[in-house]
Amino acid sequence: MAKRTPSIDTKNLTAVQLMELDSCTRCGECVKWCPTYAATDGKPGLAPRDKILRWRQYMNKSYGIKAKLFGPQEIPQSELEEFKDDVHSCTTCGICGTVCESGINTVELWEALRANLVKKGIGPYGKQNMFPKLIGQYHNPYLLDQKDRLAWVPDDVKIEDKSDLVYFTGCTAGYKQLTLAFATSRVLNKLGIKFAMLGEDEWCCGSALIRTGQAHVNGMVPLQVAKHNVEAIKKMGAKKVLFACAGCFRTAKIDWPRLLGEELPFEVVHITEFLEDLIKQGKIKWEKSIDKTITYHDPCHLGRHVGVYDAPRYVLSHIPGVKFVEMDRIKEFQRCCGAGGGVKAGIPDLAEGIAQSRVKDALETKADLLSSACPFCKRNLMDGRDSMKADIDVEDIIELVAQALGLKLD
Amino acid sequence: MAYYSGLSETLRMTFVQIMILSTIAIVIFLYGMISTLQKWGSGVTGYALEPQVGQKGSAIRFLKTWWSQVTEVARHGHGKPILEVLILDILFQRRILKRSTFRWFMHFCIFAGWMSLFSLSGMMFAVEMTEKLGLMLPFTPAEFRDILSFPNYVFGYILLIGVLIAIVRRLFVTEVRQVSIMYDWILLAGVFIITISGFIADGIRTDIIWGFGLNQASAPPAALFHSIISLLFCIAYVPYSKYIHVIATPLAILANKGGE
Repeated sequence: MAKRTPSIDTKNLTAVQLMELDSCTRCGECVKWCPTYAATDGKPGLAPRDKILRWRQYMNKSYGIKAKLFGPQEIPQSELEEFKDDVHSCTTCGICGTVCESGINTVELWEALRANLVKKGIGPYGKQNMFPKLIGQYHNPYLLDQKDRLAWVPDDVKIEDKSDLVYFTGCTAGYKQLTLAFATSRVLNKLGIKFAMLGEDEWCCGSALIRTGQAHVNGMVPLQVAKHNVEAIKKMGAKKVLFACAGCFRTAKIDWPRLLGEELPFEVVHITEFLEDLIKQGKIKWEKSIDKTITYHDPCHLGRHVGVYDAPRYVLSHIPGVKFVEMDRIKEFQRCCGAGGGVKAGIPDLAEGIAQSRVKDALETKADLLSSACPFCKRNLMDGRDSMKADIDVEDIIELVAQALGLKLD
Repeated sequence: MAYYSGLSETLRMTFVQIMILSTIAIVIFLYGMISTLQKWGSGVTGYALEPQVGQKGSAIRFLKTWWSQVTEVARHGHGKPILEVLILDILFQRRILKRSTFRWFMHFCIFAGWMSLFSLSGMMFAVEMTEKLGLMLPFTPAEFRDILSFPNYVFGYILLIGVLIAIVRRLFVTEVRQVSIMYDWILLAGVFIITISGFIADGIRTDIIWGFGLNQASAPPAALFHSIISLLFCIAYVPYSKYIHVIATPLAILANKGGE
């Protein structure tokens, strides 16, 4: 009789991550804070603690002491499929890691589990499987022409051919949410800051692939895009790269150096950090007052993943006329908007449900406007607001800055 | 040298017999621990890697991977200095305190009581071994046992407070009870049985509080039960149960530099 083989393997799961499964004390803090679990009225399989328990049981069945003595125990395919659905329902916001009493790096764990299952042919979820083809072939996830990367650029915006500073637009701002690109480029022009853009040489940052466990598909597309983008930025002679998209920012800051195995030869800066510096240097002369009560939603990829919490608040609170108010859950304890981790593409209803919870948080502050610093958050929060028919504006900080500088957004 | 523990007043355990029992417990622990390290070591050594075909789990691979993660520079900016992590996050259990003062008090009582009693038992063992080796000490093992008597009581009660809170919480807090599984119950039951059996064995012998009026003739078997159950849950069963968190959690916190 052939020797039984384990139903799972350990591809992408580091030795430390396997240990982390045994370090979970099942305290339940992650369950209290998980936005996905809350939005599904407590579907047990979505609780981070439960996912850890299940994979620990799979590991013990496959590689534990009993498996060593008596052979691995089979895990039904249906069980693994169900696990895949649950692990892909996570927005990888990372709140479970923030509150984890055992200090487990949960975001990395979920991403590793996704990649492990995808390599086994289980997953990703729904439309997420289109990402490798789209990003690999079109270099953006929207099936749009790469030649149109700069099609949005209005006549009044001046872009340098080469510069110390490069503005990395990102696919969403460059193709879908043009007001963000208008605002960013016009703000930079207005402040007299020369910048270049990559144009056709700007490829998707690869975030969607990494977050959904598909970094390895189609010959490591994220590695290819990281190499390509870094080379293109180097050719521009950039020392600093500006990102107005939190997802691209996180990917460039954390994932690109890790994929490439070396530090980047330029500084990766979020637009809010850049503006904070300029305000501190007294280089911004505001022209208009925005007389509104504004609250701020920390994008997971900007806040918890990288640690940028203060810069957006600093910028907002310095815009004339702004009355800044905080929501109950902020900074490292912020509630995710629901768009991340491929959930917006894979499970849009779930993404919208989570967004509604965040819009409710904002409504409780009596704010006129819910701001953020990520096009993905903005899109999903707007969807949540619209589905609730809530009376609150949703805008990105850079749009507010542009308005306060007297710039148009169309 | 005879112990209080035994099958009866006349059939007391000897040092050698206790050593044999301890050795069995340690062997079971080591086998389980090596197997667990090999299970952990079946993972890969870095980001997005794959194990080689036919590669078996290796304890050394786990230790190397863990150490390299402990010493690497964190890109996300959450990392804290190792000494701070050791003192505040592991010994003082800051991460639990941040989440709930009540649960921190409960867990810290169990942690402090358990570890202190474990250390005191280790000190007692060291004194007995010293005597066996013929080295002179300013006190006999029996005298040293009396010296340890007070701290044993103090930490025993600290442990008991923590365990009782944990049991009451798990039994009567609905949201905790509903999600409790055997994995959780065994851990708690083990700690509870060890703690109570220790108090009862001592109470019967000294006829103070915890004796419940029981015949002193039952003191040796009660002490033997406590010794065996302690060896089982404190040592042998650790790698096979939720007790593994005593090892894995500090390692995880260190690997993640205190966590986010």
